[in-house]
Amino acid sequence: MKTTIILIATFVLTNVFADKYTDQMTKNIDAVYKAATIEELQNAVNSFERIGGAEKSKWEPFYYASFGYIMIANREKDAAKKDGYLDLAKGALDKAAAVKPDESEIVALEGFIYMIRVSVDPASRGQKYSSLAGQAYGKAIGLNPQNPRAHALLAQLQLGTARFFNQAPTEACETAKKAVALFDSSRPESPVAPMWGRGMTEELVKNCQ
Amino acid sequence: MKCGGLFCLMKHTFILLLFTISAAAQTQIAGKVTDEKGEAIPGANVVIRDTYDGTSTAFDGTFRFTTEEKGTHFIDVTFVGFKSFQQQVDVKGASIDLQVILKEDINQLDAVVISAGSFTAGEEKRRTILKAVDIATTAGATADIAGALNTLPGTQKVGESGRLFVRGGDGREARTFIDGMAVLDAYGPSAPNTPSRGRFLPFMFKGTSFSTGGYSAEYGQALSSALVLNSKDKADMNQTDIGLLSVGADVAQTIAGERSSWTGKIQYTNITPYFNLIRQRVDWFSAPVSVESSTAYRRQVGKDGKDGMLKFFGNFNRSNLAMYNHDIAQPEIKQLYDLTNTYGYGNGSYQQSLNDKWNVRGGLSYTYNANDVKLDGSPLGEAEKGVHGKVVLENSVSDNVEVRIGTEAISRSYDAYRDTLAQKFYETVYASFAEVQAYANKHLVVKGGGRVEYNSLNQQAGVDPRVSVAYKPGEGGQFSFAYGRFRQSAANQYVRVNNNLGSERAEHFIVNYQVVNDNRTLRVEAYYKKYNDLVKFFNGDVNRPMSNGNGFARGVEFFWRDSKTFKNVDYWISYSFLDTERDYLAFPYSATPSFASKHNFSFVYKHFFTSLKSQLGLTYSFSSGRPYFDPNSEKFNGSLTPFYQDVSANVSYLPRNWLIVYASCTNLLGRNNIFGYEYAATPDANGLYASRALRQAANRFLFLGVFITISKNKSVNQLPNL
Repeated sequence: MKTTIILIATFVLTNVFADKYTDQMTKNIDAVYKAATIEELQNAVNSFERIGGAEKSKWEPFYYASFGYIMIANREKDAAKKDGYLDLAKGALDKAAAVKPDESEIVALEGFIYMIRVSVDPASRGQKYSSLAGQAYGKAIGLNPQNPRAHALLAQLQLGTARFFNQAPTEACETAKKAVALFDSSRPESPVAPMWGRGMTEELVKNCQ
Repeated sequence: MKCGGLFCLMKHTFILLLFTISAAAQTQIAGKVTDEKGEAIPGANVVIRDTYDGTSTAFDGTFRFTTEEKGTHFIDVTFVGFKSFQQQVDVKGASIDLQVILKEDINQLDAVVISAGSFTAGEEKRRTILKAVDIATTAGATADIAGALNTLPGTQKVGESGRLFVRGGDGREARTFIDGMAVLDAYGPSAPNTPSRGRFLPFMFKGTSFSTGGYSAEYGQALSSALVLNSKDKADMNQTDIGLLSVGADVAQTIAGERSSWTGKIQYTNITPYFNLIRQRVDWFSAPVSVESSTAYRRQVGKDGKDGMLKFFGNFNRSNLAMYNHDIAQPEIKQLYDLTNTYGYGNGSYQQSLNDKWNVRGGLSYTYNANDVKLDGSPLGEAEKGVHGKVVLENSVSDNVEVRIGTEAISRSYDAYRDTLAQKFYETVYASFAEVQAYANKHLVVKGGGRVEYNSLNQQAGVDPRVSVAYKPGEGGQFSFAYGRFRQSAANQYVRVNNNLGSERAEHFIVNYQVVNDNRTLRVEAYYKKYNDLVKFFNGDVNRPMSNGNGFARGVEFFWRDSKTFKNVDYWISYSFLDTERDYLAFPYSATPSFASKHNFSFVYKHFFTSLKSQLGLTYSFSSGRPYFDPNSEKFNGSLTPFYQDVSANVSYLPRNWLIVYASCTNLLGRNNIFGYEYAATPDANGLYASRALRQAANRFLFLGVFITISKNKSVNQLPNL
């Protein structure tokens, strides 16, 4: 009888704690996806950093903190500030990678940071950072060929390159179609697994016709 | 006491209730986050360390949250641009009020930086004035570092030299450093009156700092200017680069590993076919031919490869040219001048962080440069060998204070010969330096230090102080001031005659105003430079050099760059005013030297045409007339050449990701620029000295190149290399 109570109590308690993580995470993931302003993004990033400080064995909190900073960098107009936010994004991502070094999602997001760096100054940064982004996407696909975001980001990179050289985005379209197929077939491993990227990829495919 | 009935139930309920309340007892933590001026900071992250509990501050900087934690905890407050704040608190139910003042982190992008005298170009650094790619794509420079820097204020165009002449200093007074190590001769050989090119190509470097005065105590043996080049780090991928040029060909291979990379390059240049096509004013016996090979190795050291970096760079070059020099009075008399140059440069450097506070770096470089000349078959020549060793320790005393101390030795041996005569000397310059950079806050930074030098040959010792201050009152512009004393051994050809010649000395005073914001830069600088102990010939006798010359230079410079106003357009404008005189060498009295022009103006324009996949570059350069000495007139250096003018253009066309076609042409307008006049050594029958104008070897220089990159990643090309 006593054992049963302890067992139940343990189960309930564990469940409560597990729920706290998932609950807090899903709430903030939702916030970062829907955020309309830099302030909202910063608040969500702050939450992820707090969760990451408490949950030292989870890579997702700092992954989303990094993602949030990338979104802020995307909205920021001032080049120097943009770089500053990308530095913060890289710092957060390094913390995520320290927890799970060979996670395809983390490596793909690293490529995303490089890609935004190019946009700050394409003429002088294009060569270095677009090749670093390309390498990161290649590695991410190698780690998990089914990762739709790695393909989706690669498609964006190919589109940018094609535009720069005034070429038809054939390669980008093919990669994007593959990414959409992977978005359809993949099942998130957990409620906090990354889900983003579908919209921009469908947009790309739509412009292919 | 026995328990029973209703009372007992109540008692139990009470205990239960008490338990429930205490389990859920929450502590409220509230307060406000401000900066040092009391301004609210919204969006700061407030958290009880290692817990979920915390919040972001509101618009007015206030925060409020509750926690169920108990005991001693740390509260962390963080916000971008500020140092993080931490405080220990006892959480035991009573409300905690926390007033947090965040201190600005001055290692931020908008902090003041020391800017007097220097132009910094780096790919990574934000808000720099000039980037590495800008150097490579400047029209008229043909991818030569000095050529591109010659479009910046502080430089004087000396068309027949190709070297950097900075603020009334001659070409020798500007020294090149690669990864902190001295390069003894940074320019390739060239025929008389044709510009020489730098030996090092811009794409090798990730950062360039060009200082026209007031530079750090770390750099010695340079009177006027320090060109500090930082080589690239480890390459990221394997690639093969092939260049087919109108004057030769090159091939380079890069092999990249996880922690190290290796690059090798071979280049062959032969200008004969070009000279056969385009007539030259030079009477060539054989046009310049050169073979060059270079190699670079990089290795990341330590945990994750982030603790340190080992770099090695080596370069070997051999070139030959032969031409006839014609007599000025009787052009049919000619002499064959045959020059073979052999050059080797090796540079190894190592950098490692010892811990959070200490960083050590050091290096060793070796230069070998030999010029062997045959004048109508009779030999003469010179060879210089130099070794430079250096160790530097850097310590971050705090976030705001950095200390740098170092010591170095530069040993040179020099041999000259003519027929059976020989002259040689051996010199070692020992130096130590110390420098402190301190930020008072993000508006004010001071850098001060000094350099102690001892020269083994002339047995002179000296102390050279260097000071810079920069003040940035607000978000926009900043004011800087720099002062420094500099010394450099006299030129080899005089030291070899008089081993006791003292070091030449200069003193710089610089004031600067600069605004850099969002792709626009305005920079105004004024300076005064004083020269002492310059080499001067006793009674005008070149064989009796002394150290009693002197001089001065003063000027005002203006620079404007804008890559924002017009889409796909980047342009800059430089203007330099220079007033200089010196009494040195064979000068009878103080006069403006022949390499100094009063007004220099450059306009550099770059336009990227997306639809044509091409970049067009245009450079306009103007220099007012340069003085020259006409022995038929009374006054020394009293005559002026016509002004110099040049319009150059280049086009880079990128039809494919891996292919670049490049064309450039100098002096589109075909102006017949005259750099000065040479005079016959003796007067003719009428007592007049015959003269000949020093002109460009050809009015225009045309260059064509095709660059191919082969790599797994197709988005790579050599664009930044051009």
